[in-house]
Amino acid sequence: MGFMTAPANTPVWVDEKRCKACDICVSVCPSGTLVMKPDPMSTLGAMVQVVRPEDCIGCNDCELSCPDFAIYVAQKSEFKFAKLTDAAKARAEAIKANNFREPGV
Amino acid sequence: MAFNYDEYLRVDKMPTLWCWGCGDGVILKSVVRAIEKVGWNMDDVCVVSGIGCSGRFSSYINCNTVHTTHGRTIAYATGIKLANPDKKVIVVAGDGDSLAIGGNHTIHGCRRNIDLNFILINNFIYGLTNSQISPTTPQGMWCVSAKNGNIDPTFNGCKLAEGAGASFVARESMIDPKKLEKVLVAGFQHKGFSFIEVLSNCHINLGRKNKMNNAMENLAWIDSITVSKRKYDEMSEEEQLNKLPTGVLRQVEQDEYCELYDRVIAAAQGGKKITQDDFVKKI
Amino acid sequence: MAREVISTGNELASKAAIDAGARFFGGYPITPSSEVMHVASDLLPKVGGKFIQMEDEIAGISVALGASMSGVKAYTATSGPGISLKSEQIGLGFIAEVPLVIINVMRGGPSTGLPTRVSQADIGQAQYPTHGDYASITLCAGSLAECYTQTVRAFNLAEKYMTPVFVLLDETIGHMHGKAILPDLEEVEKSIVNRAEFTGDPKDYKPYDAKMNEPAVLNPFFKGYRYHVTGLHHGVTGFPTEDAEQCEFNIERLVGKVNTVAAENDGLDDLPDYEEYMLDDAEVCLIAYGSIGLGAYEAVQKLRAEGIKAGMFRPITLWPSPAKKIKEIGERFKDKIFITELNMGQYSREIERIIKRNDFTTLLKANGRPIAPAEMVEKVKGMM
Repeated sequence: MGFMTAPANTPVWVDEKRCKACDICVSVCPSGTLVMKPDPMSTLGAMVQVVRPEDCIGCNDCELSCPDFAIYVAQKSEFKFAKLTDAAKARAEAIKANNFREPGV
Repeated sequence: MAFNYDEYLRVDKMPTLWCWGCGDGVILKSVVRAIEKVGWNMDDVCVVSGIGCSGRFSSYINCNTVHTTHGRTIAYATGIKLANPDKKVIVVAGDGDSLAIGGNHTIHGCRRNIDLNFILINNFIYGLTNSQISPTTPQGMWCVSAKNGNIDPTFNGCKLAEGAGASFVARESMIDPKKLEKVLVAGFQHKGFSFIEVLSNCHINLGRKNKMNNAMENLAWIDSITVSKRKYDEMSEEEQLNKLPTGVLRQVEQDEYCELYDRVIAAAQGGKKITQDDFVKKI
Repeated sequence: MAREVISTGNELASKAAIDAGARFFGGYPITPSSEVMHVASDLLPKVGGKFIQMEDEIAGISVALGASMSGVKAYTATSGPGISLKSEQIGLGFIAEVPLVIINVMRGGPSTGLPTRVSQADIGQAQYPTHGDYASITLCAGSLAECYTQTVRAFNLAEKYMTPVFVLLDETIGHMHGKAILPDLEEVEKSIVNRAEFTGDPKDYKPYDAKMNEPAVLNPFFKGYRYHVTGLHHGVTGFPTEDAEQCEFNIERLVGKVNTVAAENDGLDDLPDYEEYMLDDAEVCLIAYGSIGLGAYEAVQKLRAEGIKAGMFRPITLWPSPAKKIKEIGERFKDKIFITELNMGQYSREIERIIKRNDFTTLLKANGRPIAPAEMVEKVKGMM
């Protein structure tokens, strides 16, 4: 299997050159790890941000759902992923309800 | 997990020309992952695509690729495969390409059972040319060639494939890339014509004109009209009317066309003649 | 040693294809070309080749183009209505530079026309079978033997110029059953041309990076040279482009690789593009091609017997037209030129364009019947 080596201590990372700010990865992230941040120089004025890497559970949904090969998740051997907590779930819901942006920002 | 997709892609052509959130990119990803899973060498693979947004699929994958005319993907692919039977051919076409102008070739590809992996990307519209109706656009939706509402009844691509005799028929959507990958792997491994319909979102064309303004809303609609085959089979006819079953819908073992032609070559070179007795189906 | 055979034109064309190295036929039945397909069905598997009858005319040529672009020499056969249906795919063959031999056994047209009767009514169509700009190579067999030799030639031209090539057979020649003297197989095999191949590092391979008036170099698929083939305008790697300069270069090269090369070298290859019969001391020139050339040959003999110094010029390569020779004929014979064809003047138009005169005499017929030597003799006598 051809895998890329993840950067050190990184559960999930983004290739910003490829991101088209479609919101899909944020919409499927169950743990509130990802948000869209405003980025006036980027497509649609936004860019995906890994806001809470420590909450990433390694479900891989963001990598599988991204149409542009812009987001990657480390392998289980490269990072100790978190378990999904109720608090993280709630944060994820709040982000989705807030047009995929971090609430209060 | 951090799969090395770049090995399979023409990265110098990225980012893709598809709109933000377009399902085509997810399907490309699933195809690449499936190719890896079944262990194919990219030197042995050829991807043939048609006209439309899905037609640009072949531009991004790193192997011999052919971008054909509208509707004729299966015909070209049949030539490539029959001339090189030990190689792997993947065919990608949209709903218009394969069910409208290419309908005849789709029917006969299914009938012939030549080992092609046919991926029908159904986004329910003609996307690249800006929102004309396709044979799968639901009645009542608004499109630029149906400005007072679409009255054309729709096609069920999988039923057509089954009717035409395809030995492997499956449907998934790109809402669940894991399931999609599984069905692609099964299709790739199946010896014979694999008809795989993948429901996709075109929120830019179909969606925005029909109250689904972004990728997620369009995907939610697709989610609402799909149901697993197991659940579908338990539904009443009334409930089934507005649902599309997903999963592997049909899989049978059937003589593959290139192998049948090997028998023709053997017969022509003095070997066993081919008669009706060689076939279970006599009509 | 030459081979003496008894056969029909259609059969000879198909046999020639296989002798020239074709190992794939894709097509659809249509009168009067079906026998080309039947022979292919029989002979191709004998040599390990592949044959397939597809579901329609469009699939018939698409499957052959697919096989050819993957690296296997391929051909298809049809008649006028089939060429009309195949038009769009022929265009892809032109722009993507895919070698393919298309045999057209001509019948009365337009539309369903006269399915079982002869014509030469697809000449104009052979020059411009599809939309856009490109250069057609069209050969017309004028005898049973030429059904064989011109088909072999067509494959070699297709591989040399990386393009579809038309071989036109009048229905009467396609169905004619008689004796033909063919070149021996060794000679044919020695003459075979195969498409050029790039043998360097795949990383350096640019399939469409040809210089002006040169054809693309397209490697067979599945050998590690991974490139893109498309019907869109494309750059040197085969990837689509709309760049103004690149597209201008593309079109000039597409047209020039055949037309300019043929004009500069006085022909497409070393083989004759026309036949001259008794022209040296002639005072009137008969121009005819295909089956009508056979009639004109006899007409020349009959006229000579009556004391008229007639000669014949018979084009074999119709497109690109042997313009230099036709111009010479125009200047030499002036209004003593007699053109006869089974259509409403499709090649007469080209001759008029080249010689810049329209005072020649024509004998045209498009009712599905051939033109007898006696009819030609009478008309020529009226000119003198």
